[in-house]
Amino acid sequence: MSNLDLEAINKTIDSEIEQINSPEKLEEFRLKYLARKGILAQLTSSIPSLPAEQRATFGQQVNILKTRITALIAEKQKTFIAQPGRKVTSQVDISMPGIAQDLGHLHPLTQVMDEICAIFTKMGFCIVEGPEIETEYNNFTGLNIPLEHPSRDVFDTFYLKDKNRLLLRSHTSPVQIRAMKARKPPLAVVVPGRVYRPDAVDASHSFMFHQIEGFMVDTNIRFSDLKGVLEVFAKAVFGRDIRMRFRPHFFPFTEPSAEVDISCIICKGKGCSVCGRKGWLEILGSGMIHPNVFEHVGYDPKKYTGFAFGLGVERIAMLKYGIDDIRLFFEDDLRFLKQF
Amino acid sequence: MKVTYNWLKDFVEIKLSPGALADKLTMAGLEVTALAEADADFVFEIEVTSNRPDWLSVIGIAREVAAITGKKLNLPKPPGHPVIRSSGHPSFVIKIQDKKDCSLYTAKIIRDIKVGPSPDWLRRRLELVGCRSINNIVDITNYIMFAWGEPLHAFDLDTLHQNTIIVRRAKSNEKITTIDGELRILSPDILVIADKERPVAIAGVMGGKDTEVSESTKNVLLEAAIFNPVIVRRVRQKLGLQSESAYRFERGIDLGIIERASWQAAELIQEIGDGRCILAKSAGQAQVKKKTINFNTKLVPKILAAEIKPTKIKDILNNLGFKVNASAKNNLKVRIPSHRPDVNLEMDLIEEIARIYGYERIPNTLPALTPQISRGEKRELVSLIKNILVGLGLNEAITYSLVDKDLMRKFDIALTNAIEILNPLSSEQEILRPTLIPSLTQRIAYNLNQKQVYINIFEIANIFTQSDSQPEEELALGLALGGTRTSLSDEGLLKQEVGFLHLKGIVEVLLERLGISNYNFKNQAKTQELALYIGQEKIGAMLSLARETLENLDIKNKEVFITQISLDKLFSHVDLKKRFVPLPVYPAITRDISLTLKEDILIDNLLETIQLSGRPLLREVKIIDYYKGQQIPAGCRGLTISCVYRSDERTLTQEEINPVHSLITQALVDKFNAKIR
Repeated sequence: MSNLDLEAINKTIDSEIEQINSPEKLEEFRLKYLARKGILAQLTSSIPSLPAEQRATFGQQVNILKTRITALIAEKQKTFIAQPGRKVTSQVDISMPGIAQDLGHLHPLTQVMDEICAIFTKMGFCIVEGPEIETEYNNFTGLNIPLEHPSRDVFDTFYLKDKNRLLLRSHTSPVQIRAMKARKPPLAVVVPGRVYRPDAVDASHSFMFHQIEGFMVDTNIRFSDLKGVLEVFAKAVFGRDIRMRFRPHFFPFTEPSAEVDISCIICKGKGCSVCGRKGWLEILGSGMIHPNVFEHVGYDPKKYTGFAFGLGVERIAMLKYGIDDIRLFFEDDLRFLKQF
Repeated sequence: MKVTYNWLKDFVEIKLSPGALADKLTMAGLEVTALAEADADFVFEIEVTSNRPDWLSVIGIAREVAAITGKKLNLPKPPGHPVIRSSGHPSFVIKIQDKKDCSLYTAKIIRDIKVGPSPDWLRRRLELVGCRSINNIVDITNYIMFAWGEPLHAFDLDTLHQNTIIVRRAKSNEKITTIDGELRILSPDILVIADKERPVAIAGVMGGKDTEVSESTKNVLLEAAIFNPVIVRRVRQKLGLQSESAYRFERGIDLGIIERASWQAAELIQEIGDGRCILAKSAGQAQVKKKTINFNTKLVPKILAAEIKPTKIKDILNNLGFKVNASAKNNLKVRIPSHRPDVNLEMDLIEEIARIYGYERIPNTLPALTPQISRGEKRELVSLIKNILVGLGLNEAITYSLVDKDLMRKFDIALTNAIEILNPLSSEQEILRPTLIPSLTQRIAYNLNQKQVYINIFEIANIFTQSDSQPEEELALGLALGGTRTSLSDEGLLKQEVGFLHLKGIVEVLLERLGISNYNFKNQAKTQELALYIGQEKIGAMLSLARETLENLDIKNKEVFITQISLDKLFSHVDLKKRFVPLPVYPAITRDISLTLKEDILIDNLLETIQLSGRPLLREVKIIDYYKGQQIPAGCRGLTISCVYRSDERTLTQEEINPVHSLITQALVDKFNAKIR
């Protein structure tokens, strides 16, 4: 190899590189000149066969050539990065919708139940579930609801065609009886689940819906603890700005009993159609567990006290999301489900 | 229950405005649901809870107002008993058949009355509380009922035969036309007031038409009695008959004020309707139980966490009508009045104290919670499964657990073990569903109707069956796919009809993610479904719904693929424990095989043969391409299979692989008649 060849090479690489229009051809070019047995390597290995006084200069020129070729390759490389690999001629229209697989959606009732249960598990409650088919004892008698009394009428139930007077539970409270019988205090439990009441179906009633029951039993649980725990819950679900009030009420299985209202989240307490112009929305029933219930499960009411509360999941979801018709939850219209 | 501001003021001094009073009542447990101004008065509509029958009277509510505002209840002086001149009147007999049904029956005879319209004040008060004015006598009985809570009834004395009142059970098929004009057929579980010949009233509920007080009535028999609440409730259940009177008897009336209310009424009748009360008779006795509770005042700070002074506690109880005596330090003997059948325990007194003191004044505290590390595994697994499915693009549905039998029949589901509901409101609630499949298919039909193109849903819920005459609940997962999948890529719109393999793919991903690998699918020709087994246990099935079934639900020209898997069975096979497998050190060699073979050869068998032939160097085998078409002969399909070889001890060479690969291709040719391309 001689200087002439170096000059010839210098001239050809420019026109060669100009003709390169694909990464594959660029790679061929690179291998031709820069590979282990490529042209520049051959040039370098020819140095010892040169006259001594020419060696240094030749070596330098080979190096300059090498640098130039590397630079040309790098520059050419840049033009390829700007274009997609396959179709060098077309560009991506970035205003087109992205390509991805759609995520599915959890049912809004599941989301609300998970959120509510999480608030309580963070406080130390554990989640327990119970059967949908229940005994009259667990659904009524054990909860101090006498079978022949008007207080029973609110809890109208579906009975099974069964000789043992089995029924579909009308609230999740029967699990109080089950849990207290199966365990020993202290207890802090939340119970989510489906319940059934023979109500005519309309925009605010459904014969099947969901409730979450919660209760705590220990040696020194107080009414003030009930208020405190429910305040934490209500503010976690509806925001810290809401006001709350506890109103005396009646449930056969709690004494004292209270209904819990929050300031209307729509009108902020001024009065609107959602809150019936009262400014307050009722969200929970609660109270201290009635001593008779403790007697039924075998806890000494002189030693133990506890509180219990229950809420309707559909109602909370409807308030939280502004849903106006309970039937939407069970129609499962995809246009509804995909909003959550 | 409606009461008016002015009527309350008859019994208690009220300085608060009606609005302020309404708030105070609500916060003490008497929720005022409406307050309206009317006729120079204000009408409060109060929601009375079923444990406080004493609030079903103006006096009962006035008593509450007194307790809440610290004022005194002003009851009218008990009227003096008129001089009874019993001469000139035949004797009157009252017979009670069973004192368990009626413990006390009192009757007052008032003669020479003039029946006419009521005075204005009376008529207006009744109308404000929602009671229609009839005539002065009937209105007085209603007026006293609303004021005192004791239901009264007035009979036209001359229509009662032979001066006898018998309180007895009705005979089978005995009849009475009640004052609303309806003919009622009676039975022995209904209590009636009768004379010697026929029933004249349904006890405690409604009087008979032919003994009612009308313009022609001259003499009146005024009844005040105590009827067993359970008996009165029966009337509502059997005859569907309700009244203000029955409402009060069912909940329990104050046994202590019957005579007083009755005399009050008699006095009013004599005042407004002229007449003279000439006879008062009674049979039976009101058993007013004397109740005393020993109350430990230390319970108050213990339960309420509020320091309420003992003097305040005594005041509250006294104002409510409880008589309080200190018996020892921290101990009160509390006498419970007759109008409070709901107070029996110390906790009941705690509630009284708390609500009058004000729930708002009780602090909010947090209890000491001992966290329970109870794992609730089932619920966590359910949550995991839901999230996997959502990640795979499915949407969660919640459908009704009660269904109608007709729907089950459309799917050919046997109803022999279905659990039936005794009292459904409609046929849609006839049975508890033994399967999720029809409900989910209905949801697909619904969404297709809403012009959805692709529907992919799942539900996790209990299914119900009767086994050995015991109802059982089992947790199941239902998955349903229908319609056409579309996706937009830079190559245009891709449309794909939902197929069986899509459903199978979802199930496979789910099982793998739960750590289950020993699953397999078996064709069940008899039921046209693909059964899913884990090991030897059948845990579910997949099917493509038949066209007739779909057309019954108005799904035309679309296919629906559905699966139901028992989660209770699945859970026992779940293995979420992860064990690290060291990453491969040595590189793999991949070799492909393209072949054509008959379509009826199952992929499973093919892959099994390849795996057996290629051991131990063959690590993975996958189908990477699949085609039918012009170059493939009829009845055959083309496949490309990728074989990945690797050793844990050295880098494999092509020379080592060649014989193994040949073995595989040879096996394919020999066993399946494959043509290698």
